Amino acid sequence: MLTDATRNTIRELMARYPQARSALGPALEAAQQQLGYLPDEAMAEVAAIFDLEPMEVQAFVGFYHMLHQWPVGQYHVEVCTNVPCMLRGAGKCGEQLKEKLGLEYGQTTPDGMFTLGEMECLGSCGTAPMVSVTRAQSDWSRYYEELNTPERVDAMLAELRSLASVPADQLPSAGRVVPGVDEVARPYHHSHHPDTNNILARIDKPDSHTLASYEADGGYALARQILAKEGGKTPLEVLETVKAAGLRGRGGAGFPTGMKWGFLPAGSYPRYLVVNADESEPGTFKDRLIIEYDPHQLIEGIILACYATEASHAFIYIRGEYFFGAQRLEDAVAEARAKGYIGKGIFGSAKDLEITVHRGAGAYICGEETALLTSLEGYRGHPRLKPPFPAVEGLYRKPTIVNNVETITQVVSIVRNGADWYKQWGSEKSPGFALYCLSGQVKKPGVYELPYNTTLRELIYDYAGGTIDDRPIKSVIPGGLSMPHVAVDKLDTPMTFEDIVAAGSSLGSCGIIVICEGESIVEVARRTMGFYREESCGKCTPCREGGGWIEKILERIERGEGQSSDLDLIDRLTWPIERQSFCPFGAASVWGVRSMIKLYRDDFEAYIEQTNPTHKEPELPVRPIYRPDTGDVAPKVRV
Amino acid sequence: MPDLVTITIDEVEYKVPAGSLLTDAAKAAADIDIPVFCSHPKLEPLGACRMCLVEQDVRGRWMIVPACTTRVGDGMKFRYASEAATQAREDTLEFILINHPLDCPICDKGGECPLQDQTLKHGPGESEFEEIKTHKEKRYPISDLIMLDQERCIVCWRCIRYLEEWEDKPQLGLFHRGGETVIDFFPEQPVDAKTSGNIIDLCPVGALTNRVSRFRYRPWELKRTKSICTHCSQGCNVRLDARLHQLRRIVARENMAVNDEWICDKGRFFHGFVDHAERLTTPLVRDADTGELREAGWDEALGIVAERLSSIADVHGPGAVGAIGSAKLSNEAAYLLQKLMRSLVGSNNVDHKGGAAVLADPRGLSNIRDVENADVIVLMGVDLAEEQPVLDLFVRRAVRRNGAKLVIIHPRRIEDTRYGGPYVAYKPGEELSALDGLSRALLKQKPVAERAGKLGGLPELTEYLSGGQISQEVAEAARLLAGALRPIVLYGPAVVSGPGGEANRAALMNAALLAGCGDRTFYIAPEANSVGVRDVGLLPNRLPGHLDLSDASSREQMQRIWGSKTPADAGLSYDQMLAAAAEGRLKALYLVASDPAADGPAGAAAVAGADFLVVQDMFLTASAQQADVVLPAVSWAETDGTFTNLERRVQRAPKALANPHSKAAADWSILLHLARAWPVSTDEQPAKAGKSRRDGSQKGKRERADTPKQWKYASVQEVLEEIGRAFPAYAATDWASLGEHGRQWAADSVPPVARRLAVPARPARAWLDDFPFALVTGRLLFDDSTLMTKTRPASAVATVSINPGDAAAADVQAGEAVLVASPAGQLELTVRIDDAVLPGTLWIPYSQADAPVETLLSAAGDGVGTPVRLMSLQTVSEKAG
Repeated sequence: MLTDATRNTIRELMARYPQARSALGPALEAAQQQLGYLPDEAMAEVAAIFDLEPMEVQAFVGFYHMLHQWPVGQYHVEVCTNVPCMLRGAGKCGEQLKEKLGLEYGQTTPDGMFTLGEMECLGSCGTAPMVSVTRAQSDWSRYYEELNTPERVDAMLAELRSLASVPADQLPSAGRVVPGVDEVARPYHHSHHPDTNNILARIDKPDSHTLASYEADGGYALARQILAKEGGKTPLEVLETVKAAGLRGRGGAGFPTGMKWGFLPAGSYPRYLVVNADESEPGTFKDRLIIEYDPHQLIEGIILACYATEASHAFIYIRGEYFFGAQRLEDAVAEARAKGYIGKGIFGSAKDLEITVHRGAGAYICGEETALLTSLEGYRGHPRLKPPFPAVEGLYRKPTIVNNVETITQVVSIVRNGADWYKQWGSEKSPGFALYCLSGQVKKPGVYELPYNTTLRELIYDYAGGTIDDRPIKSVIPGGLSMPHVAVDKLDTPMTFEDIVAAGSSLGSCGIIVICEGESIVEVARRTMGFYREESCGKCTPCREGGGWIEKILERIERGEGQSSDLDLIDRLTWPIERQSFCPFGAASVWGVRSMIKLYRDDFEAYIEQTNPTHKEPELPVRPIYRPDTGDVAPKVRV
Repeated sequence: MPDLVTITIDEVEYKVPAGSLLTDAAKAAADIDIPVFCSHPKLEPLGACRMCLVEQDVRGRWMIVPACTTRVGDGMKFRYASEAATQAREDTLEFILINHPLDCPICDKGGECPLQDQTLKHGPGESEFEEIKTHKEKRYPISDLIMLDQERCIVCWRCIRYLEEWEDKPQLGLFHRGGETVIDFFPEQPVDAKTSGNIIDLCPVGALTNRVSRFRYRPWELKRTKSICTHCSQGCNVRLDARLHQLRRIVARENMAVNDEWICDKGRFFHGFVDHAERLTTPLVRDADTGELREAGWDEALGIVAERLSSIADVHGPGAVGAIGSAKLSNEAAYLLQKLMRSLVGSNNVDHKGGAAVLADPRGLSNIRDVENADVIVLMGVDLAEEQPVLDLFVRRAVRRNGAKLVIIHPRRIEDTRYGGPYVAYKPGEELSALDGLSRALLKQKPVAERAGKLGGLPELTEYLSGGQISQEVAEAARLLAGALRPIVLYGPAVVSGPGGEANRAALMNAALLAGCGDRTFYIAPEANSVGVRDVGLLPNRLPGHLDLSDASSREQMQRIWGSKTPADAGLSYDQMLAAAAEGRLKALYLVASDPAADGPAGAAAVAGADFLVVQDMFLTASAQQADVVLPAVSWAETDGTFTNLERRVQRAPKALANPHSKAAADWSILLHLARAWPVSTDEQPAKAGKSRRDGSQKGKRERADTPKQWKYASVQEVLEEIGRAFPAYAATDWASLGEHGRQWAADSVPPVARRLAVPARPARAWLDDFPFALVTGRLLFDDSTLMTKTRPASAVATVSINPGDAAAADVQAGEAVLVASPAGQLELTVRIDDAVLPGTLWIPYSQADAPVETLLSAAGDGVGTPVRLMSLQTVSEKAG
């Protein structure tokens, strides 16, 4: 059932990777673009092309949200209902869509035009609430953002209806749109400290994403200079600069980048650089800004990083939902390749460099570096055992450095200006500046490029304009949804790795989510746990079983069947999940909920007392039925 | 030996092998059973279930770590019994149990379930779970043989990993993710790996259950007997679980030398014949009045057999009596059968199917696990995936783990060709050309040319091989072999059978010697006791111990044991006996576990032609239906016996159960009692004769006598002891010494095969224009043989497989009925189109119900290269019309 064109695309994709199986996800995406979904027959055909068992393909498909085994409507409309969007009216937006389309989540309109779905964070927290729309049997996908008025939702639906009869290849370019306001994709809100306008300095310029624009601003001069035979630098010099600058990883763990690069075993090649662009932590949307509006800066960072680490092939693993970003990256890579900045002997040096943009297919866990590598190799994105660490045995079991987009981009400024310049900002342990993402109930959500010692109060009130309607703050999540909440007494904490730890949380990905008084802490907790339950890969017991258990308790509390003892139970369950999970994401999945129960226990108890004053206990069905049944079941029914 | 390091567990220091997993180290050094679910010694570490948690001192902080993925190093400190570690394991179990259905009362695993056991030892005791459990599929067949309960599954991946790491057939996988994760297969593609049942044994809960045995036992009620499987020559170690005199279940048993801990699905599931309602339970004799078989007592039946066989031998000479045994018989039964023929009847007419016709190397394979360590494996005329699935697991292991290369020389594109090594195809009957081609290519390899100079016979061979093309695949095979350090050649019976067998064996040895693996070229015996029945002399030309019958000292050696003379003339082979019986030259035929009547016209004619037919079997087979006397035998599970596998390992199969309502007896016991009923000639037994002779008897007349002292065995064990005297290699394999894992007899107990280059004598072969195809036949694992069809019904149709190109040329469609004819006979079959079948050949497997491929073969051993033709039935009827 796959056309020759699709098959050719798949073969072309397979050729991009050192091991063809890596192309499995992109190949299935291509098949889905042809067929609208992936029926069994299509999976079997893809399996044949890859010389795999069909089961392996279906197991892969089942793992990733963006791959469908069943048909969806012409437009797949997915509403983000995660906490940052929830705080800015996703509920209303979703209700309006349900009403206008006459659908519940998961349903399709009778004419087959719309399928409405609920979705977890799509990296648009600064422009919440939002929906992502994907057109079936096409490569057209678009973010509709800031849907905070009924008019905008209506405008979006009207536009989609009017485009329904337009052939897919004639649709207006994909990207991000604020219906009725933005015709052209423009960068969302961002700002900076007067002295630290570096990474985001160019993105408001027209066509900032093009190579011409980047070079006009002096782009690639640095890479050319570093790689020059005369007056250039050695890889070790570049590595030492990064090390001296004290650059810490921006993916969440804050591991010193230079030290990580130093772990590469000497003399072991090929080496790979994998840029983690799977930005999926709710409340985090900084990498997206770089990717969409200054991709060449990232590429220059990749060139420098690959030079320093002697990597010959870089992969940018970008989350599949970042459709627009992936397009811009692909275009940028093509431009740079045409110029000879990617390929054999770049900038006339002896350095060879390949860059492959790899789209994920919808799985939060693939932000975990070993899961990302497993996914990039064409498997379900399960984390793998460490040691061996990726620097020793990573992609295709070769030495591999995995760095976040922002980390790699920071390298450009550091190499250009030197370690001392970089260290003048921030603290000793958190040198330099960061991209803080502000979302939730602030007046001006967006990305802020600021020195590391900026306090939460400065961020919220001086930069983000304070809270909506100047409501008092209830709680702040300082580092993306997984990090423990802090209460208002911590607002004067400088946002450094060390200070925020002292305040009881962690800097994570610098995704700051502001929650004001009046919001339901129970709902925030339930949605937080719901996200991590949904995104658990299912490999290890504590995360797979424990997360679901806590979510069920929170749902029960929300329904009005809570007991105050449930709070102790939840707290008890969080500890083994944290301690005993296979990967760090399992551990981090419970920090938020545990911190909320600790900080806001009174709110939970008040909610329980109010909704279940008689302390009614849940009713459980009687199970199981103890009757041996040797009879065969009905034909295979899939859940 | 790996270096030892010192680790500390709960404040006690232990010396353990460096780099070993903590789970193993703790067990070996401290006898601590760290509980596990996902971890399994035969599978790669995964670390998913988090059951094996302990505390480790990581730079001064005690951290919770999984033991099953932690490799120990010097100075590491662990706590197993600490409060935190114990709590961690409790917590994991609490999580595992929340969505587990706890339907233990009806769960097959209940009573032998690691989840139950660990809940008892490590569980939290109570749960605070008050939510509704997750629901999934509870009765979900993943194949005809295995049922999956997704609710019981704890997602340990053992089944998935087994199919990936051992079978190399990823047919089960995780679908969906998070709490919705289930084990599943691709639609319409249920699990069909040949050893899939091992995942039932591996499953640490009751998620995967045996559909043949489900709900038929509670584990604690079973009587468990350590035995072996007798479906093929691997001799896999199994445990027979019986209850109420029925064989309820078979599970694998570890024997690292033989089967690791794996068995194939045939061995696990296809035991329905043991308890089958159609089993013979009493002797039958043909009633003189009605001409029908009627029930009889043992005394009557054995009396008739003894009387008739001895009188036919008297009247027509001992050569008028023949016995056909089987390679499925135990050593003891086979030994007694040939002893009875030789010492009481006085004839060497004793053989079995696949006996004298096959020029088998008696030593078989050196050691089974040698296969795993080879770097180049040549499979010549043997399809391990179908014929020896467990041996094939080790071959796959060698390929996938150790990077071994597979060279396949076969008349069909067999499954193992998927590994992409050189595949040398040949038309059956042209094995010699294929092997000569390999030798020719080998001589072109530099290291070979150097080695060959030291071998005798090189000039003649070079002359013989001169000229001739070398295909790319053959050249690649030669290149691999020339560069190999540990090559191994495995060949099957088809290569050394029939008129071409002698030449093929010479050509194979030439190639092996040139490749430097003359001493690593091994015969893969097909049946459970193919090796053993040869060892004990179930051959017309060999005495026990492979002694040459024509050698007087060998015969004297047997006479000392048997107390009677052994005839010197070679007996008739299997094929010759069938022909002689059909022609009336062989008057009496004694069939033990053999059913020639089911094998087409030649066998049927033999059965019909014999004046006196005795059939000793478990079922009323086609042959038995025509017998004069039917002696009911029991299965291997119902008596003691030993079997010798393809690597000369003698193994015990003790009695596991008995049907108290049946009068059926063990083969060895029947033979023993038949001997005791034998009339004794006054000439031969004068000392005894006087005592029991009836008055007035004439000289030369045979009479009942006291049992000769040579036929006084109280048990199988005593028969085995006598075998040890007849074939000293078995002296060390007495019942007690065999233990639970058997013992190999020493390969140097038999003279080595001459290892020198020789010009093979090419037999004359005429291809017939009228018969354009070459017939390829062979064994399939799941065939329609008598024993298999007692567990599941035979296939609806018997098929002939044809290459797509040939099908188009012959204008036949898949599913069409066709007539396949050879000079010997014809069969009506249904067309199957299969590109694994080579152009110019037709594939018809053995043991298809009601369509014995033997019909097309002129004689059983001559099956290789039988010319055949194929016509659509429509054409046939048009021509007739």
